[in-house]
Amino acid sequence: MSETGTNPTVEVGGYTLAIDRAYDPDTHLWVQLLDGGRARIGMDPLGVETSGTLAQLAFEPDGTTLRRGEPFGSLEAAKFVGPLVSPLSGVIAGHNDAALADPGLVERDPLGAGWLVELEPSDTEAELGLLVGDEDEIVRRFEARLAEYRVQGVLAE
Amino acid sequence: MLVPDALRVIDFGSASALRSQTLWHALAYGVSHGSPPTLAFVRPAEPYVCIGYHRRLEEVDLEGCRARGLPVYRRMVGGGPVYLDDRQLFFQIVVPVEDVPLRRDAALRHLLSPAVEAFRSVGVDARLDERLEIVLGDAKICGHGAGQVEQAVVVVGNLIERFDHAEAVDVLAMPDGAARGELLRLMRRYVAATPADSEAFKAAMTREYARALGLSPVVAELTGYERRRVDALDRRFRSEAWLRGHARPEPAAREVKVRAGVWVFAAEHEGARVAAGVVDGRIERAFLSDADLNGAKADLETALAGTTLAEARETLAGFGPPGERLAAAVAKADGRAHE
Repeated sequence: MSETGTNPTVEVGGYTLAIDRAYDPDTHLWVQLLDGGRARIGMDPLGVETSGTLAQLAFEPDGTTLRRGEPFGSLEAAKFVGPLVSPLSGVIAGHNDAALADPGLVERDPLGAGWLVELEPSDTEAELGLLVGDEDEIVRRFEARLAEYRVQGVLAE
Repeated sequence: MLVPDALRVIDFGSASALRSQTLWHALAYGVSHGSPPTLAFVRPAEPYVCIGYHRRLEEVDLEGCRARGLPVYRRMVGGGPVYLDDRQLFFQIVVPVEDVPLRRDAALRHLLSPAVEAFRSVGVDARLDERLEIVLGDAKICGHGAGQVEQAVVVVGNLIERFDHAEAVDVLAMPDGAARGELLRLMRRYVAATPADSEAFKAAMTREYARALGLSPVVAELTGYERRRVDALDRRFRSEAWLRGHARPEPAAREVKVRAGVWVFAAEHEGARVAAGVVDGRIERAFLSDADLNGAKADLETALAGTTLAEARETLAGFGPPGERLAAAVAKADGRAHE
């Protein structure tokens, strides 16, 4: 384990992951609980890599109520628009204007300055349990996903 | 009831501007709700302007479009604002999201490659270049966009039988004549029509997509569910709120992509203005204005030709205060997503 800034991190297969948060391996999003109970959401490095150069981002308006699995926004890369699917239920409490103005920020610093939105989660306890938050499990699941992607040709060898 | 492993093929023929969008968007919802993969064709009955899902409406010259009677609609797939008319035959391939490679570039390659084969079948020596443009030589011959709508992925493109470059530029809001002129020059150079026989093209598309997806083509129509979605989409696409789109920050520079790797920007800083065409990362032509440039304008514009944006900033910064202002204007151009 190493530490970058205030975030403890771990390297897995050449990718840096912060371990102070939980991950959704299916959507490649992370969730970090903040002081006060808000949940910050961002993309993990594999999500960034499979998306390609991010040209555009959009977020649903602050105050929007979401259920887990509903889109909180969208991204566009290579003229391909796709949803950003919320890993938690809750109300959008804020979004990252800097990422909106410069989606490249998400590529450059997906775990830090390139965060996407913040939610006031409505069912934290139950839904965080659906994510991967234990350090060993993060590493294990990420390694497995990397191996799967390499076999499928999703990532370069 | 369609056979298993069917590729539904729907030719909508000629449709109103609005329906030339909403018909195929309804197909995306249909495939998301269980309709089979679908290949569709539509030709707009009248000219109009269509803007990509994420783009700022301010990129379109709305006043000019209104004056010319051109409707403007927002689509759910990507790309910029474009001019469409009845000399463009549009195709859409719609498949379930689980049938599409995870990487966006791989997904586009997967879903555009059959179209390339179809172009080749009708005598157009097309290829899919490394930037995922369908090109003839180095000119784009097919404008494409893609998106995920619920649980379906749709890729749209066109056979351009004739392209009105001037009209395509006129519908865009541009800050000055220099940028507009440069855009028209590059569009004429890098966007080309390929007037192939449209019926032969449709037949080739059907054959190539069926082969690539391992499906059997079946001529079909919209389902009842999809018809209802068309009506709902008509209402949505006509609404001001949908047309306005998401609130977006105003970019520091006006940038227009002609094709991947070819773009034009215009930017201003403290009264200094720069417009330039960029090809493969290097400025091809630059147009400068600043009240204090005096006689240096032509020499500086010449000096910028062939430079990267970083080199251009360095060159300009050596020309005193007006050069520094112009360098600051160039620094506002990004272009990251145009390469």
